[in-house]
Amino acid sequence: MGQIVLENVVKKFGDTEVIPPLNLTIEEGEFAVFVGPSGCGKSTLLRLIAGLEDTTAGKVLIDGEDVTEVPPSKRGLAMVFQSYALYPHMTVRKNIAFPMRMAGMSQAEQDEKIEAAAKSLNLTDYLDRKPGQLSGGQRQRVAIGRAIVREPSAFLFDEPLSNLDAALRVGMRLEISEMHKRLKTTMIYVTHDQVEAMTMADRIVVLQGGVIEQVGTPLELYHTPRNKFVAGFIGSPKMNLLEGAEAKKHKAHTIGIRPEHIKVSTKSVKGAWKGTVGVAEHLGSDTFIHIHGVEGCDPMTVRAAGDVAVKHGDTVYLSPDKSQIHKFDDAGLRI
Amino acid sequence: MSSRKLPRLLQAPAVILLLFWMIVPLAMTLFFSFIRYVLNSLNRPEWTSPSFSNWRGFGNYEFVLNSKDFWFAVQNSLFIVGSILFLTVIFGVLIAVLINKTFPGQGIVRVLLISPFFIMPAVNAVLWINMILDPVLGLNGLAIEGINGVIASLHDAPAVGWFFSLWPKFEPISFRATQTAAYAVIMMVTWQWTPFAVLIFMTSLQSEDEQQKEAAILDGAGKWSQFRFLTLPHLARPIAIVVMIQAIFHLSLYAEIEIVSRGNGNKNLPYLIGEFANNNIGAASATGIFAVILANIVAIFLLRAVGKTLME
Repeated sequence: MGQIVLENVVKKFGDTEVIPPLNLTIEEGEFAVFVGPSGCGKSTLLRLIAGLEDTTAGKVLIDGEDVTEVPPSKRGLAMVFQSYALYPHMTVRKNIAFPMRMAGMSQAEQDEKIEAAAKSLNLTDYLDRKPGQLSGGQRQRVAIGRAIVREPSAFLFDEPLSNLDAALRVGMRLEISEMHKRLKTTMIYVTHDQVEAMTMADRIVVLQGGVIEQVGTPLELYHTPRNKFVAGFIGSPKMNLLEGAEAKKHKAHTIGIRPEHIKVSTKSVKGAWKGTVGVAEHLGSDTFIHIHGVEGCDPMTVRAAGDVAVKHGDTVYLSPDKSQIHKFDDAGLRI
Repeated sequence: MSSRKLPRLLQAPAVILLLFWMIVPLAMTLFFSFIRYVLNSLNRPEWTSPSFSNWRGFGNYEFVLNSKDFWFAVQNSLFIVGSILFLTVIFGVLIAVLINKTFPGQGIVRVLLISPFFIMPAVNAVLWINMILDPVLGLNGLAIEGINGVIASLHDAPAVGWFFSLWPKFEPISFRATQTAAYAVIMMVTWQWTPFAVLIFMTSLQSEDEQQKEAAILDGAGKWSQFRFLTLPHLARPIAIVVMIQAIFHLSLYAEIEIVSRGNGNKNLPYLIGEFANNNIGAASATGIFAVILANIVAIFLLRAVGKTLME
């Protein structure tokens, strides 16, 4: 249960077309991540699937059934919001029970499910507290608990970790991934954070301006980005894009090289690019070096493993790994 | 000077002023309530000036408790306040929810809704009792007369005339009659104060979290459940505020009661104080102390009740 298909879905707000005709299939049991810069329509797309927004044209199918005109509550989906959207005057127990209470489930059955959900989410000690007395991470867990007890055919996550601090975010990321492995339910996850997308997704959908730029597994997107936008968006630090003479040598309008595929040396190397160090960020495990002076790309970022002893003003020589160069034509598409 | 002394010293004038503001009238009321003090007495001229030599102990209180109108006034005070609170909160919530949606002419509707609140209480009472509730000249009388006229004209109608000729003639309700005066007061004050409730509830509704509502929609909550489980609890605090403020104001209603029936069959504690104060200041002060006690009981009771049922 839980295949979601979008057929020629269009969304307009007034005259502005937020999502031009769009086709997408999310397979049963898949963890799909919608990723893109803010305002790319990823949240709107999620809300269209949930039914919180009406489609202007096109169809939404869940398990082969047309649900375009079906109200949100009847679609069998559960959603977790960025702001948690817990009911502030109800205890954690009542929050989790709410969807079951609305469905008219018996009290005994409710209690059983609440206990199970609380146990799996480490919330047992907090069941009688109110959301205001919980930390951000705990609140998000309650929101997830409220989604789990509905046993939905798919979970929808709308930037669920954006309000958490960095350390907590990594932890919750793992928990959600674990949950997906355990439940094997379809999940759609919206984020603007490409690290979340890369680490969690079975398949990533990269969106820009309401248009799907590429759909693929995280590594497909990393190794063979379809265009310049995807190339620049996926991967951290960002891919270096060079235009001009250097690109001409490769018979391309633009060439791209990831920071981790460039060798850096303080000694002169034949055929290497020459530049001066702007900033060197020493992380211990890696060194990110931002280099000025390379023609066609300023600054150029290089990621060197381990600690490389360079500082501001040093002259360095950069030799890219030829096999890892991405080539793009003047329309930005991969050659 | 220590760091705590200076702020205290600077606060002192305001605190002392407020203290006097409150303590002096209360102390005077307490003092008068324990002495014989009348404005005019030919037999006992010494009672016309307040002094400890006229000490009466709890005599004034006894006198008030035994006067025929006291318990009626207490009851009536509570009845009027309770009814107004009940009606304004219900109407206030309904209207606020209704006009919280966007619709054309929203701005004008909101201004019109608020306007009754800007009318002076005495004017409000005069308008209502003469133009709307008057059994002859008011809307009340005109409407009943109109209905009677229509029924009378139908007496001769073919086929159904016999049916209408069986109907009695309707009588307009007189709101200056003893029992109905309280209803008139409740109606006019509810009309005037509903806008206040609407105003407070509307601002609160605008701060309601949209994502919570969306979550509730996905959880399968219908319109009624959303209202019952999200909106109403969200309004709990503003409702408590409206109830508290209105309870304070309406326990001291006076103008409306005076204008509707001059206290005939419809008195509350402030009106009773007014009646005593025509001559017997001692008894009026004792009634005042009773009113203070009543107000406190009402306040505590209301806060608890409203808090418990809605915060849950």
